Amino acid sequence: MRLKVGSVIFKKTATAESSNGGNAARLQSFRTNGLGLKSQNAQVAATGGWPIFVQRYVPWALLFVGLVMIPLSYYTGLIAIGTVNMLGRYMAFAIVAVGLDLIWGYTGILSLCQSFFFALGGYAMGMYLAHHGGPEGIIDANNWKIPACLYVVYPYKVGEAPGDALVPWFWKPFYTLPVTALLGLLIPGLAALVIGYVGFRSRVRGVYFAILTQAITVAGWLVFCMNNMKLCGTNGLTRFDRIAGFKLANPSVKVSLYILTLLSLVGVYALCRYIVKSRLGRVLIAIRDDETTLRFSGYKPYIYKLFAFVLAGMIAGLGGMLYAPQMGIFTPANMEASASILVVVWVAVGGRGALSGAILGALAVNLLYNFFTSEKDFLLFVWKAEFWQFILGGLFIGVVLLLPGGLIDLWRRLVRAAR
Amino acid sequence: MAFCVLRTSFYNSNRRDTKILPVSYVGNPRCTPMPKVRILFRIFAISFSLQVLSGFFICSARADDGFIRSEIHKLTSENTATRKDAVIALAKTGDMRVEAILQSYKLSELYVWNEAVVLCKEIIEDEDFNEFCRVADVLTGEPILDAGGEPHEIPVEELEEISPSRAERKLANSAKFLLRLSSPDRDIRMSGAKKCGDPPGIIASVRQLREMSENDPVKKIRYIAKESLLLIRLNQTSVASDPHAHLEVARELGNMKSMRGRPQLQKLFDALMKTPNGAKPVYDDARKTYKFSIDQIDGYQGFVGGVGNIFRGLSLGSVLILMALGLAITFGLMGVINMAHGELMMIGAYATFEVQRLFGHSPDNPSDLYYIAALPAAFLTAAFVGYLIEVSVVRYLYRRPLESLLATWGIGLILIQLVRIRYGDNIGVNAPTWARGGVEIVQDLVLPYSRCFIIVLCGMCVLLIYYLMNYTKLGLRMRATMQNRNMARSVGVNTQRVDRYTFAFGAGIAGVAGCAWTLIGSVTPDMGQTNFIIDSFLVVVTGGVGELIGVICAGLGIGVLTKVVEPTQIGSFVVGAIWAKILLLVVIVAFIQFKPAGLFAPKGRLSDI
Amino acid sequence: MDQNQRIAAYKEYSPRASRLSEEKFLLFLEDITAVFDGFKALDIQALGIEHNELRVIIGPNGAGKTTLCDVVSGKTRPTTGYVFFDGTDITQQTEEEIALRGIGRKFQTPTVFDSLTTYENMELALPDHYHLWPNLFGHTTKAQREHILEILERVGLVDALDLEAKYLSHGQRQWLAISTLILSNPKLLLVDEPAAGLTDAETALTAELLLELKGDHTLIVIEHDMDFVRQLNSFVTVLNEGVIMAEGSMQEVQQNEEVIEAYLGR
Repeated sequence: MRLKVGSVIFKKTATAESSNGGNAARLQSFRTNGLGLKSQNAQVAATGGWPIFVQRYVPWALLFVGLVMIPLSYYTGLIAIGTVNMLGRYMAFAIVAVGLDLIWGYTGILSLCQSFFFALGGYAMGMYLAHHGGPEGIIDANNWKIPACLYVVYPYKVGEAPGDALVPWFWKPFYTLPVTALLGLLIPGLAALVIGYVGFRSRVRGVYFAILTQAITVAGWLVFCMNNMKLCGTNGLTRFDRIAGFKLANPSVKVSLYILTLLSLVGVYALCRYIVKSRLGRVLIAIRDDETTLRFSGYKPYIYKLFAFVLAGMIAGLGGMLYAPQMGIFTPANMEASASILVVVWVAVGGRGALSGAILGALAVNLLYNFFTSEKDFLLFVWKAEFWQFILGGLFIGVVLLLPGGLIDLWRRLVRAAR
Repeated sequence: MAFCVLRTSFYNSNRRDTKILPVSYVGNPRCTPMPKVRILFRIFAISFSLQVLSGFFICSARADDGFIRSEIHKLTSENTATRKDAVIALAKTGDMRVEAILQSYKLSELYVWNEAVVLCKEIIEDEDFNEFCRVADVLTGEPILDAGGEPHEIPVEELEEISPSRAERKLANSAKFLLRLSSPDRDIRMSGAKKCGDPPGIIASVRQLREMSENDPVKKIRYIAKESLLLIRLNQTSVASDPHAHLEVARELGNMKSMRGRPQLQKLFDALMKTPNGAKPVYDDARKTYKFSIDQIDGYQGFVGGVGNIFRGLSLGSVLILMALGLAITFGLMGVINMAHGELMMIGAYATFEVQRLFGHSPDNPSDLYYIAALPAAFLTAAFVGYLIEVSVVRYLYRRPLESLLATWGIGLILIQLVRIRYGDNIGVNAPTWARGGVEIVQDLVLPYSRCFIIVLCGMCVLLIYYLMNYTKLGLRMRATMQNRNMARSVGVNTQRVDRYTFAFGAGIAGVAGCAWTLIGSVTPDMGQTNFIIDSFLVVVTGGVGELIGVICAGLGIGVLTKVVEPTQIGSFVVGAIWAKILLLVVIVAFIQFKPAGLFAPKGRLSDI
Repeated sequence: MDQNQRIAAYKEYSPRASRLSEEKFLLFLEDITAVFDGFKALDIQALGIEHNELRVIIGPNGAGKTTLCDVVSGKTRPTTGYVFFDGTDITQQTEEEIALRGIGRKFQTPTVFDSLTTYENMELALPDHYHLWPNLFGHTTKAQREHILEILERVGLVDALDLEAKYLSHGQRQWLAISTLILSNPKLLLVDEPAAGLTDAETALTAELLLELKGDHTLIVIEHDMDFVRQLNSFVTVLNEGVIMAEGSMQEVQQNEEVIEAYLGR
């Protein structure tokens, strides 16, 4: 299930060497290639047979399915556009999950404000979309088009906007797409920088940090819910119409957005993978294992934590930016405290400490959600959408008690058993 | 003219010379005279006759029915004076039933039928558009029945309307409030005293108010009566006509810190501000007086409001403490973060609701004992659920705070959904009657009983926990386990049992918090998750895990800070609940910068959790 | 030597009074006290460690040996007093700053990063790689790799090269902790109980390694094991109840009445 890009060649040699046996040979290989090799992988590699085959080719196959098969099935009429759109949204969630895995799975910092960063990105994109949506031609005194969602009931007709109905200053930067895209990354990044700085500098750790970020999320949610903040209150940003000139309702645009999200996911995955495989990744793991000791080795853990946290925040923001146009609406509900913990459960279900696990978990939990939040007539009783909460609660408990390594760990164990 | 007289009556210290008359038989023979009732023996020529009726008596609650009926009958008289006298006599009875009669009189709902006065509130039409009236007894309001036992329906033509003149309507209206002044019930009397003073004021009540301001047994009523008197005088006088008296009243209102006087003074002040400076020296003087009085009132009300806010904060803090204690103990003992703690509180609240239902308590049919039963019920229910949580999930998660956070959050979700399916989204818990109202410590500072009770309850719980921790075997074992689990186990402490009891106990305390919360807040399935869990964790974070006292300080601090900041006004911007919360968060974050492990951090080798 | 004389001799070199200090002493502690909740864990009037010296600190349980290490390495802030290292006052500096100045530490219980392999643990200890960007883009050079292998071969950890540290035995963890310390090449090494949980042969090897390092490093070794201390054959400081009780060679210290009493108890 691991996406091996660079190390495939190496693994081949490793396989050869270790089957030849001999310490000297292994050391020689180590000296020339210079890569650490986890014994586990070596063992899996050594077995050959179908597990190694699966491990090597399944990711590429999945990528192929995602990039080619799904759009193709839509165009041949096998699946509805709604399904493609749904998958696109879930992949936006998967992006957030990868970010959280970087900060939680690798660095060991449980952040409960990923949904806040997600929403910051989402709001940035949502404001752009609101600028270009809704009824056309209603402008304020400064010649700015008034976004429809600024008002609960849109009160104006063309040429009727009164002089005091002005577009707020903080809406204005989000008029063009490039600036929006930039701000959608920078704002969550900056927020993460501030939160991380005050948190890590004073060595707030573990649950304390989790609670602190949770409180920040709730505070942010409250602010975005306020009607007089000119952020559209609890109704959220609505009446999206077009992105970069293309109609959002157009199925081709939806497919494009889906593909864009998938490519972003792959990009984010590759970036995070590069990081966790670099020496910096090892520092992050060392922070997770024993931050205090690391400090005595001369590392400044808070810089590394800040780096990972800011990066995770920006990744979450990217997820939000991709989510907003596909969802067609962006409300403060996306940054509720429960939404924040939901991201954690995606990663936990998939398997923390494995980037592919985060993706797997996000997709699996959301597909499960999709399945169980519709009313179903089972043989003995009627399943209601509200029962989903029980499944979700059960997932929280079950994954912690029964499957601490998540699905990816289950998979690995299966592979090992198949040896 | 009127105000001159009033002035004399007020600032003339002739009062000492007035004679004391036994007046018990003047007017209404059914009234029992109050001892030591003094009257001013000064009959003012002006002012209309109502002034005469101003009761110097506190009448019994129910006047004689026959007397009232005979007086009502007088209302049918052709003679204006007789009618007036009848109204006066009625008002003097102090019988609250009369209020409705006077109201009906005012609204022309009284009719004469068969030479008797009857009440008719609605006129019905039959198919032929004949109008009928269902008449009712004027005193009891019950329908008059015909021979068959059905409500009597009388053709309208048979009724003769009693229609009072404009002056009489006014008189009846005033009489309604005057009536209250004579009531033996302190609340009714108080409302009467208040009404009489509200602008424009009932001049006729002046005498009685003055009497009350001196002699009423209830201090608060004496105060209100005096306030009303002053307000009436403030309206009657003006700077232009009699600056000295007028400003004296304004000053007096300021000295009394009268809340009701403030808008009046402000109006007068604003009006004066429109006149140019230095136009008339007396105006400048008046401006100064008004301003001074307003500032005096504002200063006092600010103080009282501040104290009230602190009190509200203390009660909120108490609930937070009850919540945070359980959290801190379980975190300190087992290294477990219990995110379902808010739901345990919710369960306590719902247990209270169930007990209330069992007792059949409702606002109409109060059964206050239910709350006594609800407290232990809430404790036990929440403790039982807590015990189940410990046995089924938490015990596998010791020293794994992050994992326990997730698992217990899941438990919380399930509990919320269960309760939501069973009870729906909103239920009403009615506070017991004794928790309504409050005690007025000083003027205008009312401390609600419900909040007092919560603070006391919290104090008792804290003492109980302190006792448990420090003077019982369980407490000793608990502390031992908290400090060194393996060591405790090896000296024979059944740590598993200690854990379970402690967890259940913490849960039970949360249940008590839920029970307490029903007195001051609303109950919903997700109340714990949305309102309490984060705040109580912030209390734990700020207070530190080590000591009980840390949680208490932090809980009270956070509660008070929230409630004090919330209503603060900066310019035209009122801080409000949300910004208060954010400000609080900023304060806590800043605090953590200096004390990362909380107020009372555990020290030494134990400090790494 | 009498304690007062000893202190007087040290005080001459107080970095606050004398410029000679820097030349003679790498580490100098002056008037250090550490108080926890009213309990005085450490009370040292003066203590100096010379350049390239191997100093052994012994003392019974609770004598304040580890607290001394904590104070030097910045884990605990002393209540009063000064710590001078290489001519600078490091009393108020953070752990990272002190580590970057060249004080390395091995803890009493060997601390290694469980989820990292032996090799990765070593890589983390490479000197001059403490910053963010070099870690993100940099690679371990061949020379560095050789060096790591050299040390690991020496302590016999090569076989466990790609084993995650959580699978290592206690002895192996000790070795790994010492190896990372050696690799990071600090000026001063604080070695807290290096021989705990090791076999006799391993203990001997440890002693040999430490003595080798003595040539161009300064070491403070805290130890219980008297055999081990004898093998090191160095200048010894005896701590008892937070106070320096005696200093001198092993023989001298062993004959000290007070020390015997403190160790044997009454």
